[in-house]
Amino acid sequence: MLDIRDALGALLERESAALTVSTCGYITRDVYNIRDRANHFYLVGSMGMAAPIGLGIALAHPDRRVLVLDGDGSFAMNPGCLPMIAEHRPDLVHVVLDNGAHESTGGQRTAALGDPAAMALAAGYAAAHTVDDLDQLAALDLTGTPTLVRIRCKPRSHPAGKRVEQTPQELVKRFRAHLADPAAHLEAV
Amino acid sequence: MLPESSLAAGPGTEVAETLLKAFVSRGHSHFTGVPCSLLKGFFRLLEDPECPAAYIPAPREDSALGVASGLAVAGARPVVLMQNSGLGYSLNVLTSFNLIYDVHLPIVVSWRGHDGKDAVEHDVIGRELTRLLDVFGLPWTVLDNEHPEDSVEAFLKQYDAGRNTAVLIVREGI
Repeated sequence: MLDIRDALGALLERESAALTVSTCGYITRDVYNIRDRANHFYLVGSMGMAAPIGLGIALAHPDRRVLVLDGDGSFAMNPGCLPMIAEHRPDLVHVVLDNGAHESTGGQRTAALGDPAAMALAAGYAAAHTVDDLDQLAALDLTGTPTLVRIRCKPRSHPAGKRVEQTPQELVKRFRAHLADPAAHLEAV
Repeated sequence: MLPESSLAAGPGTEVAETLLKAFVSRGHSHFTGVPCSLLKGFFRLLEDPECPAAYIPAPREDSALGVASGLAVAGARPVVLMQNSGLGYSLNVLTSFNLIYDVHLPIVVSWRGHDGKDAVEHDVIGRELTRLLDVFGLPWTVLDNEHPEDSVEAFLKQYDAGRNTAVLIVREGI
């Protein structure tokens, strides 16, 4: 089982150019504190909506790859979106960082999750995987999309990083500027 | 005299066509939502293979708002359609995404239960619909089926090219 920051760090490096949508709570805060980039779009609320929002972004920019970062709690909140995503065959990598807990609210255990990878395949995703360590993650072929990657993680042992400092409106503005000119804004903060 | 196909499709079809044309002519490219019997003429147009816009059926109204929000963030111009019963599911996305990121959407909402004589499950939301919209500061217009262009104009003025999440209420069926 992985430290969630190691999993996120590997994903952000591997998919550095992807339009990245992170779910609310500690996942958005971890991503923000590991690396803040203009191609990141952070949710601070609307739990369960990272994947539908990722689909919308993919539909508007079919030439770009989309990375959705869900937790097990936010995934459990909205598995109904999986067939809708599959229907449109977006170039979308849907990650479920599964530590079995709602950590942002005090570490309560999440509702029964089932097998997210099997659910994604049943919903029509092109591929789905479950991994437990960085080597397995690095070995994945993520060319067929949409694809789901469930990464089994340990409960966090680190304190939550700072909250996203930009206003929601500033995040939208920055993301749109990146979409308008990806090369100029990829590394902009 | 309406052509036979329009008569067969129901009296609201022309209104639905007017509405769709008004959206498409203003660059609204994507439609998503969950159907309602009061909106069935509009959904029939969206499901037509010749429809000039993309239609993304959603399993639930909040997910429809999510897809539309992603489209809007990324520069497209979506429209969301739902029955008023779906507003409950939608409130979290509206209050913790659309209204705080200022990513605003035009939403077409049917008004089941508006006269208190509909099926019982529509009584409460039907009675409270406009008050609920007022609580969250969402401007709304009731579609006048006799003058749909005027209603759409008023609604889109409230939407203000993305500065407000505005609601077009469909009471009569289209």
